[in-house]
Amino acid sequence: MPVVTYAPEAANRWKNARVAQSQKPLELILARNLLTSISTPAFLLDEQSRLVFYNESAGALLGISFEETGRMDPTEWTGTFGPFDDEGTPIDIDELAITRALLDGRPAHSNFCIHSTKGEERRIEASAFPIMASEEGASGAMIFFWPRATNGEGARG
Amino acid sequence: MKVKVWGARGSVPSPGPDMNRYGGNTSCVQISLDSGEELILDAGTGIRTLGMNLLSEPHVNILLTHLHLDHIQGLMFFPPCFRSESTITIWGPASPEASLEDRIARYISAPLSPVEVRELPCDVSFRDTPASEWTIGSATVRAEAVTHRGPTLGYRVTEGDTSVCYIPDHEPALGSSLEDLEPEWISGFDLARDADLLIHDCQYEDDEYPDHIGWGHSAMGDTISFAARTGAHRLMLFHHDPLHTDDFLDRFCDQARGRFTAAGGDGDRLEMGIEGADSQVGTAPQSAVAG
Repeated sequence: MPVVTYAPEAANRWKNARVAQSQKPLELILARNLLTSISTPAFLLDEQSRLVFYNESAGALLGISFEETGRMDPTEWTGTFGPFDDEGTPIDIDELAITRALLDGRPAHSNFCIHSTKGEERRIEASAFPIMASEEGASGAMIFFWPRATNGEGARG
Repeated sequence: MKVKVWGARGSVPSPGPDMNRYGGNTSCVQISLDSGEELILDAGTGIRTLGMNLLSEPHVNILLTHLHLDHIQGLMFFPPCFRSESTITIWGPASPEASLEDRIARYISAPLSPVEVRELPCDVSFRDTPASEWTIGSATVRAEAVTHRGPTLGYRVTEGDTSVCYIPDHEPALGSSLEDLEPEWISGFDLARDADLLIHDCQYEDDEYPDHIGWGHSAMGDTISFAARTGAHRLMLFHHDPLHTDDFLDRFCDQARGRFTAAGGDGDRLEMGIEGADSQVGTAPQSAVAG
């Protein structure tokens, strides 16, 4: 286990940065920490369906790292990565079952396709879990991705 | 406002000849507002001594960060609890599991205690901390969830243009490097930002931390990084490990001051939490009585 070291030059990078966005709720901070630590590709959405983080494995799947894209609004990330059906037709995000994770605070599972920035089609299945910290509803959702089994079901919302 | 430390030890009371200078009592800090009200941050064993010095205070607000034993153990020995003329409001984190009163009553009840909460002669009430900031006397108080085990809060107390931030149990670097995170992703950042005094967990040396990852506490490097990133004007290292003796903490302090300076802070503005120590934060009010 490496010893934690302090790098003042790194901290100085942030001296004038302050808080560009309002601080994330703790449950999203902890969710991001979890996603950072696992090898399953995963997205983190906030309560407005903005893509606020994805991990390195998701970056490998998408062909671009989160450090390169930064936070993306719903129209931006769906326009870039999908979802698409197996014929390549875009699926409205509101019609996707995983959207229920945010809208209804329910877990959901979907099959669909996404496109990497290199133009590769990825047939995947995804499970979404709402992040609930209060009775006021989901403050975000985690979406985990797996390659779809070759004999698995086709895309379905 | 004036800040006095009544207990700066973490985890478990640790009295003994090697601990006398920094003290062995667990977390308790008193904030005396310029307007005269008293706020008490946490009810570790230090609150017992504090209570013995609060003979004439009729109304006390106790702000609990969380309900681990080292933050509530002194409550049952807090003298105002046993005075019928006392009014005590206890604030703490909400939980979906049970009310604040019911959770505290697990400690103040048989077989752990000879008395029950309902038997306390004082007028005591329990309040979940609001989601937005609220006022107590002349202070504005803000509470936010921070990274620790179980529901845990940090507090920011502001009176006028002076702010004290208290995050005694905190592991903001859990699973990530503070140097690489944007501020919005750092637990407790908004609470601590530009605080005149930041009282923060610093339980471990850096080489002790790897054996304690996920226990909810900070290594020195992370505490200093957090303070530098948030722009705290003064930093008090708090929640000393029960194994750290006075001599150890002297060396710890010297090392921390050097690192704080290297991080762009002022080493002279880093201090250790020392039981019995008090200090003025911000400008002391002018006396209304002509001399």
